[in-house]
Amino acid sequence: MKVGYLGRRLASAFVTILLIALINFLLFRAMPGSPERILMRNTPNVTEEMKQAARVRWGLDKPVFPDQLIAYFQSTARGDLGFSFAARGAPVLDVISARIWPTIILFGLGELLAIIGGLALGAYTGWKRGGWVDQVGNGVSLVLYATPYFLLGMAFLLIFGLALRWFPTYGMLTAGAQYHSIWDRAADFGSHLVLPLVVVAIGLIGQYAIIMRSSIIETLSEEYVTTARAMGLRDSRVLRHHALPNALLPTVSLIAINLGYIVAGAITLEVVFNWPGLGTLTVEALTARDYPVLQGVFLLLCVSVVLANLAADLVYAMLDPRVRT
Amino acid sequence: MGQLVRRPEGLIGVVILTIFFVLAVVPVLFVGPLQTAVTATGSRLEAPSAAHIFGTDELGRDMLNLTVHGARISLSIGLLATFVTVALGVVVGIVAGFVGGFADSGLMRVTDFFLVIPTFVLALILTPIIQDVVGSAATEVFGIRMSLVVIIFVIGITSWSSTARIIRSQTLSLRERAFVDRARVVGSSNGHIMRRHILPNVINLIVANAVLTFAGAVLLETTLSFVGLGDPFQPSWGQTLEAARAVGAPGLGDWWYFGPPGVCIILVVLAFTLVGNALDDILNPKRRERR
Repeated sequence: MKVGYLGRRLASAFVTILLIALINFLLFRAMPGSPERILMRNTPNVTEEMKQAARVRWGLDKPVFPDQLIAYFQSTARGDLGFSFAARGAPVLDVISARIWPTIILFGLGELLAIIGGLALGAYTGWKRGGWVDQVGNGVSLVLYATPYFLLGMAFLLIFGLALRWFPTYGMLTAGAQYHSIWDRAADFGSHLVLPLVVVAIGLIGQYAIIMRSSIIETLSEEYVTTARAMGLRDSRVLRHHALPNALLPTVSLIAINLGYIVAGAITLEVVFNWPGLGTLTVEALTARDYPVLQGVFLLLCVSVVLANLAADLVYAMLDPRVRT
Repeated sequence: MGQLVRRPEGLIGVVILTIFFVLAVVPVLFVGPLQTAVTATGSRLEAPSAAHIFGTDELGRDMLNLTVHGARISLSIGLLATFVTVALGVVVGIVAGFVGGFADSGLMRVTDFFLVIPTFVLALILTPIIQDVVGSAATEVFGIRMSLVVIIFVIGITSWSSTARIIRSQTLSLRERAFVDRARVVGSSNGHIMRRHILPNVINLIVANAVLTFAGAVLLETTLSFVGLGDPFQPSWGQTLEAARAVGAPGLGDWWYFGPPGVCIILVVLAFTLVGNALDDILNPKRRERR
């Protein structure tokens, strides 16, 4: 049974990734103008011979199906995502990997903070349902849900960056700064990180709190909790040993599903703070209509979301035998 | 409707939405025609004053004027995008649920694919490519510029999957009811049963779902405009926010440039969410117990 479940999940994730790659392939073919024209768009006085040479060089003289499609899948599997239009023909993979770490640091840390804070808040408000923390928390979560990330970012930038001057507001490091030691550098990085990090954490915390709250409330009506109470266990013990472990389950899949939303937030928020990550890269590529980079980012983001969902399913199945059917 | 306004959160939502819809229908009545760089009434980035209570943007346009006209643009895009989304989701959901078998498994595989792919990322790559294909020149469809029409369709084709899931599961249970069997016995075709018997029974669900979809559509349009895919000649709230970011309004302390459209977006999305949740509670008794 277990192997069957695992196999089905893996197969479905694999098919999804193939479909994403196929969409990517088709989109490039759907664009107006022939591909060789797009490739040589900055070259003046293109002759027919040059066009023909480019067609042979890029394999465009072969039929779209199956030759070009197979060649595309092969090179994508090798990590060859083509060349950027804007960054003077640098490989897309290099362009992306130069920008990936700032995003992973910012959103990895932000997600971690939000998970810890959100789960704690949700557990508390669910436990003390109707208390003042619960009521205020509900209202705030609702407003935050309606607030786009970048708007929150702009407000924070104005208040804490400009009005109070607590933190720098632009980029990841002070431009042109000389550092005496690695610690100076780290401190500068840290002060630039604070504002966007707080916005990420605040933006996400509400969703985790809401799901944890309803999960705790649902768990509290289970018979094993009633039993634990009837046994005369203290409240804190019932919460920690009986309600919490079970209520944590649904949050596992939420963390993976959230990755898709985080991505949207990442792109817009990085632009507000000029954080040099994948988000600003995406907007730069959009402005320059640098399609190879856009497609590389699309592929990377979609595949990570699919893999995160797969991981969540597998972890869930490990924790809860009931779904392994 | 009566039940809706009797709930405090439903009432608040309905009031906010009514105000914004009035503004969206007749913006000219309140603030005159949309100002352009030529007809701007103020100077560059003026702070709020008696003449311009929300200040002006970098072209000297009155922010109150821009914000009120933004309501019309943002809400029109949201409404049309919701229509496309819900129509697609309902058709897919009813057909999959009612016909079943191969059609069902095929359609649901497609639906699952769209569910797992992050909506915004797909919209982000589809929008510029389709805009390039159709040419975002000055052509207008029903007074909406081409680039925005593209955004409407992209929101539609990227957001329908959760609606389809909900409608399908409802259709599955309706299919087993006696009135469907009776219709079949008197010789009604599949198409007729789906239109005349299934659809009227999922209307409530569609309405509640459409309200929540609207909130999502407004947010998605705002975000797409914010990354530069909107149209400067028909500035939605998201487009205005993009312009504010481009001139560095938050860093200059020009809060009035992004404050008004920002607050409007929050209010509208909040109102739709409140109404949607209230409708969900009214129409879906199971949910009520849990809250």
